[in-house]
Amino acid sequence: MKVSYFDRVRPYALPIVALAITWIVISLITPTFRGEASVYSVLEGFSLVGLVALGLAFTLIAGEFDLSVGSMTALAAIITVLTSEAGLAGCILIATACGVVFGALQGFVIGWLGISSLVFTIGTLIMLRGLTYIFSGHAPIIIENFEITDPMLLRFSIFSVSSIIALVVFVAAALFLAYTRWGREIYALGGARNEAIAAGVPRVRTITISFAISAGCASLAGALAATRGGSAAPQNYDDLLLRGAAACLLGGISLYGGRGTVLNVAFGVAILSVVVSGLAARGTSASLVQLVTGALLLTVIATEYLAGRLTLRKSGGSRRPGRTRRMAGAGG
Amino acid sequence: MSAETSAASPAVALPRHRPDWLLPLLVLGPAAAGIIIAIIVTPTFLTSSNILAVVRNASTIGIVAVAMTPMTLSGNFVSLGIAQTAMASMVSFVALLGSGWNQALAIIVVLIGTIAVGGFQGAVVGAGFNPVITTMAAGAIIFGVVSEITRGQIVNVNEHGASWGGGDIGGVPIVVIVFVVFTAIVTLVMSRTVIGRQTILVGANRATAETSGISFARVTVVAFVIFSIGIAIVGILEGAAFGEANAMSFANLTISVIAALLVGGTAISGGQGSPLRSAAGALLISVISNMMVLNDFTPGGRLAVQGAVVAAAVVILDMFRRRGLRR
Repeated sequence: MKVSYFDRVRPYALPIVALAITWIVISLITPTFRGEASVYSVLEGFSLVGLVALGLAFTLIAGEFDLSVGSMTALAAIITVLTSEAGLAGCILIATACGVVFGALQGFVIGWLGISSLVFTIGTLIMLRGLTYIFSGHAPIIIENFEITDPMLLRFSIFSVSSIIALVVFVAAALFLAYTRWGREIYALGGARNEAIAAGVPRVRTITISFAISAGCASLAGALAATRGGSAAPQNYDDLLLRGAAACLLGGISLYGGRGTVLNVAFGVAILSVVVSGLAARGTSASLVQLVTGALLLTVIATEYLAGRLTLRKSGGSRRPGRTRRMAGAGG
Repeated sequence: MSAETSAASPAVALPRHRPDWLLPLLVLGPAAAGIIIAIIVTPTFLTSSNILAVVRNASTIGIVAVAMTPMTLSGNFVSLGIAQTAMASMVSFVALLGSGWNQALAIIVVLIGTIAVGGFQGAVVGAGFNPVITTMAAGAIIFGVVSEITRGQIVNVNEHGASWGGGDIGGVPIVVIVFVVFTAIVTLVMSRTVIGRQTILVGANRATAETSGISFARVTVVAFVIFSIGIAIVGILEGAAFGEANAMSFANLTISVIAALLVGGTAISGGQGSPLRSAAGALLISVISNMMVLNDFTPGGRLAVQGAVVAAAVVILDMFRRRGLRR
């Protein structure tokens, strides 16, 4: 079956229009948010919220929900600072590896027991936050040898080292999801779980992989942030789950699993990043940014819900959407 | 979700071949044993001032956990905006008192306001939106609004002093009395009224419930309203106890309440559990964290243990439920 060009672009139409509108509106009302600097700050968003959203998307596509990403990012930032003796690449790799191992373990338990990921990750969300406080000694910590983080401050026109790393990870994730067997299995499991299992998709392996990637991306985000700033604080990144989820849903990742691509995440991150850095350029307070993020999130789920309703009505279906669909992470 | 149980999705009601009280007993039994051992090694636990502190803390967490139980029972998971909503109630109550309002009037206004905010979320979720995302977004909006209005400052009651929230009647703290009465009312509502039974049926099997004419939207709105009443009560009591509040009040409430609910054994997928179990969960969580304070655990250590307890409780309860189904 040949897929026409139009059909391929259609899932991205709404995010593209939303991105264009927000960018135009924000740059019109904010004189300081224009040109190269604005592109740079939007791309910077990919290295923190972007990576977290990317990881979250893997669990959402698999029909699960990883609530622990914010705590994971904070813990990884602390680990990065503590292992900074290992050098720049060394400490980033160690922190990311710790995240991957923890995520794989968490995913294995969830997949093996068939337990609701929403509940289990609430437990690990609390636990990881506790570990963050323990490892940091309940206070912000800094990288003593500040010279090793110098490369993180380099800037190549619109790119920084961390945004380049983040974009490379995005491309790798896109290729993994679209072209590898393991990637396709994540879609299968999220789209139609019982059918996928009946067709031989290994549930435990697939869920383990998606949670390992989720925690790995969150950890990389934390490691990059810690090396950029040269410090880490245990109470950080409390609202990262909100921002990551907002980016995923803004871009068009479905909450019901099996739908959405890395390109969707990228558009979502870009939209959120334009709004947040635009507001920051106007000197808006952090709490107002949180307010706007929450409002965006509500608008987006409303749009998704109404769009689903309209499509069903058009196709003559009497079933109302959202009634019988299984929500991500609900588990057995 | 394993292949053999998922055929009966979305959720299966109570297991048939063993009594309903066995499951909570299996969880609370070892927990009680652990607490008794801990009490023996921690002599300061049994001092009357310490027990009073534990019971007070358990009551605050418990009122919210009990209030949230109908929401979870109806299959709407948990609210991720607990702390923000409670903070908004407390701040607005304190602010109203501070500007010279009559106490009774302030209580009514805060109650109505909190119910309106919660009822709106209930209507949104009842229309088919994801409850986790909706409550998380609403929490962010509430936090943003309150922070903007208060400008991050502490709000206080000024000269219109109010300290009855921390008081007691005949030696029993008011918050404890409210906790007991509230738990009794919610338990009665869930087990003896039509809407209560409908809530449990919707959570246990939504498709069946809707086929038999039960409105999911109505059940959800009622659950959110009960939740909001609990939140408002806690906000008002704390406001009347401390006389001041800011946007950071109740910072850890969300975590403690969800922990209490899950440890109490209410199934997150709905249909199974009771307000009484959430109350017991709140007591358990408070005793555990108090024990850790007495044994000089750092705040980080306490969080880590609390998280591990939640994860372990969820896994153990899930395994028992599953075994019940296979039989």
